[in-house]
Amino acid sequence: MNKITIANRNNTIFRVKGTKPLLSELRSQGLDLPYGCQYGGCITCAAKLINGEVDQRSQVALNNRQINNGYVILCVARAKTDCTFEIGVESHDNLYRNPFIDPLAPHELKADIAISKDNN
Amino acid sequence: MDGLCCGPGYASPSEAVRAPREKLLYTIAIYTGTGIQKPDYLATIDVNPESQNYSQVIHRLEMPGIGDELHHMGWNACSSCHGDEKMTRKYLLVPGVRSNNIYVIDTATNPHAPSLHKVVDGAKIKSETNLSGPHTVHCLGSEIIISFLGDAKGEAPGGYLHLNKEFEIVGRWENSMGDVPFSYDFWYQPRHNVMVSSEWAAPNTFMPGFDLEEVGHLKYGRRLHIWDFEKKKPIETIYLGEDGLIPLEVKFMHDPNSSHGFCGAALSANVIHFWKSKDGKWEWEKIIDIDNEPHPDWPIPIPGVMSALLVSMDDKYLYINNWLHGDMRQYNISDPHNPVLTGQIWMGGLLGKAPIVNGVKVAGGPQMYQLSLDGKRMYVTTSLFSTWDNQFYPEIRTEGGVMVMIDCDVVNGGMKINKDFILDFGKEPNGPSRCHESRYPGGDCTSDIWL
Repeated sequence: MNKITIANRNNTIFRVKGTKPLLSELRSQGLDLPYGCQYGGCITCAAKLINGEVDQRSQVALNNRQINNGYVILCVARAKTDCTFEIGVESHDNLYRNPFIDPLAPHELKADIAISKDNN
Repeated sequence: MDGLCCGPGYASPSEAVRAPREKLLYTIAIYTGTGIQKPDYLATIDVNPESQNYSQVIHRLEMPGIGDELHHMGWNACSSCHGDEKMTRKYLLVPGVRSNNIYVIDTATNPHAPSLHKVVDGAKIKSETNLSGPHTVHCLGSEIIISFLGDAKGEAPGGYLHLNKEFEIVGRWENSMGDVPFSYDFWYQPRHNVMVSSEWAAPNTFMPGFDLEEVGHLKYGRRLHIWDFEKKKPIETIYLGEDGLIPLEVKFMHDPNSSHGFCGAALSANVIHFWKSKDGKWEWEKIIDIDNEPHPDWPIPIPGVMSALLVSMDDKYLYINNWLHGDMRQYNISDPHNPVLTGQIWMGGLLGKAPIVNGVKVAGGPQMYQLSLDGKRMYVTTSLFSTWDNQFYPEIRTEGGVMVMIDCDVVNGGMKINKDFILDFGKEPNGPSRCHESRYPGGDCTSDIWL
């Protein structure tokens, strides 16, 4: 069992088995979370990981900058350790950016098209 | 019910133009991506100026769950089955782009308070047809096809779902996707045995938001596809290149004999005109090119983002929007090769030309619109797609969407914002929502096709 702390919900604590994605485990324990596609493709359920470690290999929505900023796609992510999250749109301050004003560097693109920083 | 005889719709576009004035409007409003944990809903809007509830939402039909992102919708029947007296225009089919569910909504039993008739389960659509990311709904005689932008895993090119008139899954409509790389909108013109489809991107690309770099990595479309409509397969590709980056809405003229149609390339902010030449070859040209506009905070000029396009029922006027600039334009297309700008209004947008309309601050820019059958009234909303709204107009989260009505001069051309109509979705009972596509109970300029 891992301990999940929701920092922007008065540090409420949930305990999860890691057998199902976090969205499903947390919702079944009564936490109200946004979601959309439920397969890791649409970003609606993104939350910010403050500390801890997750496995979200099957997500396809985040670019590398969003991942580096700590975002996690809860509908497919599983906790590997105790984790602290900020949830909901309050946590989305660095999730959305104007793509014209603030372009991505080649290594910050989505994994399938990103170019390693070392090769730049 | 909405024609003089027989089945749904009208005998011809000219009969549709003479239909009674619309009194109700159905408009999608979303909470997906807003932070408000409520379902998206279908708003019924009173547009009868004689009514005491004029310019107000009079009913809200909530979907069963959250997170659908309702987007576009279509009728179970239109003028394409006018000759079938057993059919009625009774149901709106409303897909959820993110959930994959298709909601079938009964608008006829009580037009003022539509009710949910059936849900075509999104998971079932995935498992039986390998499709996700539903977009455009067209009826097809008595049956229905819906374009989907992805496979069950959200990868392009998607395909077409075929539903029967009981809204049961028949399977895939198309016999082949050929080498079509992306899907989005489509329109068909049966007398020419043609369908034309356009390209947005894979759901996994556009749903999380817009990364400009992905255009260069060919993750977004730049082609139109000509289909053999009876054989249900693509037969020709029109490569638009830099003139046609992200070609979105496709519309043919309403005259069923016409082969002329238009597509708005959102990122290039160009209108592409296509038609069949005398020797049967499909031709195309760029007829409108909206210049990018400088902005003090932007390192590069702002593209218009021409996300929608509409042809009036009499085929005289073409309407386009520039979502990021903030303007709507009307062109006289009596000569479709040489459109003439005849009207323009400003509402919202990033250029700051009209931040407030009729006393309401406009978050977003003109995005979706529906024109009355007589061509005189246009209802315009401001939200594009939750994640894209959040990137370009983050203030829409707290301010919500807006619906504006434009008076259109169908004789001399011209557009003017109606001073008596404004609907602020920022003041909805559950908090600010975002309004999107609209439909009239009696049919509209973006649904009806004639066989």
